[in-house]
Amino acid sequence: MEFLNFLIILFVAWLIWRRPEKERLAFRLMVASCVLMALMFLIATHGSLLPGLNL
Amino acid sequence: MTGISEARLRTVLAWAVVLLTAGPVGVAVVLGIAFGESPCILCWAQRVSMVLMALAGLFVLRYGPRPRYLGTVVLLGAWGSFMAIRHSALHLARDVGQGFAASFFGAHTYVWSWVIHFVVLVTLAVLLILLREDSVERGTRELGRTGRFALGLFMVVVGANAVQAFVSTGPPPFMGQGDPIRFSWNPRNWVWMFRGELRGAVTLRGAWDIPKPDPAHVEADADPANGPLADLSSLAVQAWERVSVPLDGRLTDLARDPATGRFLAVTDRHGVYVLDASLSKVEHRVRLDPMFSVDIQAPSGAAFLGDTLVVGTINKSYLLIRPDPAADEGFEWRHFLETSGGMSELRRSRFATVRARLMYVSSLAHDRAAHEMVTVSVPSPRQRRMVVSTFDAGDFVLASEFLPRLGPGLALGEKRTLAEYVVTGAVVEDGLLYAMSAAYSTLLVLDLAAKTVVEAYAVPSLDQPVGIASRDGELLIAQADGRIAVVTRPGTAPAAAGEAEGAAVADTASAPAASPGA
Repeated sequence: MEFLNFLIILFVAWLIWRRPEKERLAFRLMVASCVLMALMFLIATHGSLLPGLNL
Repeated sequence: MTGISEARLRTVLAWAVVLLTAGPVGVAVVLGIAFGESPCILCWAQRVSMVLMALAGLFVLRYGPRPRYLGTVVLLGAWGSFMAIRHSALHLARDVGQGFAASFFGAHTYVWSWVIHFVVLVTLAVLLILLREDSVERGTRELGRTGRFALGLFMVVVGANAVQAFVSTGPPPFMGQGDPIRFSWNPRNWVWMFRGELRGAVTLRGAWDIPKPDPAHVEADADPANGPLADLSSLAVQAWERVSVPLDGRLTDLARDPATGRFLAVTDRHGVYVLDASLSKVEHRVRLDPMFSVDIQAPSGAAFLGDTLVVGTINKSYLLIRPDPAADEGFEWRHFLETSGGMSELRRSRFATVRARLMYVSSLAHDRAAHEMVTVSVPSPRQRRMVVSTFDAGDFVLASEFLPRLGPGLALGEKRTLAEYVVTGAVVEDGLLYAMSAAYSTLLVLDLAAKTVVEAYAVPSLDQPVGIASRDGELLIAQADGRIAVVTRPGTAPAAAGEAEGAAVADTASAPAASPGA
């Protein structure tokens, strides 16, 4: 999934560079990438979402 | 007007993107591909977060400092900081040199991740403070030479990351690993995993979600016949006594000083009482201030250490208090909410355990012969085991810990474990630890040298036993309501227990824990 996320980011950078008029699409893809990154972190830590320390 | 123009902002931002891309993200991918240094799944998420912050910077270079791009950077900075703290929490508190994976300039990557997210947030804040609003343009901007360099570098580095991610983590639905393996161009060495951790409940605290015990009330079956140890002999209650002075709160432990015959009683409202030998007169009294220092939760243990009183709490904190005719009441005001006077607090600190970590306790005893303090852990749904911990009574540092075994003559029921007992009171005499369990109203006798339960007795007719003290040949089992059952102290000689050590013993003190969190 990390691979997929980097591909999305790469595509967004290309849009910024070569297709600046696709700003809305680029931003939405960046948001999707953020969500994917956050989801993967949550999947990896879902057994204890908060740090294992005295809060 | 002072400040910087948007054009200057974009130049600074372009260099910030270059720094972020070529610095942590670029170095990471070079280390990965050239030297085999592979990130774990948490590292991957933090690396992606840094890449996304740089990407948001490219948005600003192209479309100007619009709120949604700046907001995205703030959000990523905050989320990335959380990820770094969550990740670091796995390793920060371990012993010296016991970090995880590679370190640079004395800090591991998860610590650098937090530093980088923090620096990005600070940099953004400074730029926004300095930005002249009247210089902000509308529309799409030309990238300029620096912007094009930043974007080109970004695409090269992200492309390299994509290659590393494909090799190390695979295409969807495969994803990163908790314990990654070194990078290799050889497909035979590639390990792509679909995470088994997707199974299991979502929890906030995981292994730290330990319910706090009430030291004055244990929700458990009190019938010894239903306990894990079968066919126990009964100890008859010879007499009943009681604490005949009013206490502030419910009694949670009782100790007796063999030298003077005085008693020490503690309550769940942080009351500490020194009582005379007849339990009918208060010689000293304080109510502890539990705030403003080490966490002092409900007191659950009491012991005499010579003239010093030791009060233990369920969270393994302790206080040393001493009757002191010269006590300065003005000074002691900071320690006590109430005091009868003539009492000084010497120290408040914490017992540190290893096997009993993430477990509460509800007992405290002083082993005079070994000059050690003793606690017995309270089981929880996540930590189903009984751990006896001993601490040097000089420095209060851990001396030993063990899961008691079961001696000959004692048998557990099928699929039963010693960890079903909830020890709420403990006292040591002649090398034997007498541990009173409120669950199944059972007295366990442990040989501390042999680390073995050598005897166990049913003590029927008790209601919420919370403490136990020794008086000559008797044991005084205190209840939360202040009543005290007097029983004859079982007199197992340590020599007999030594025989048990050589006999076949079973590891019966633990049961499989509930599924631990990630």
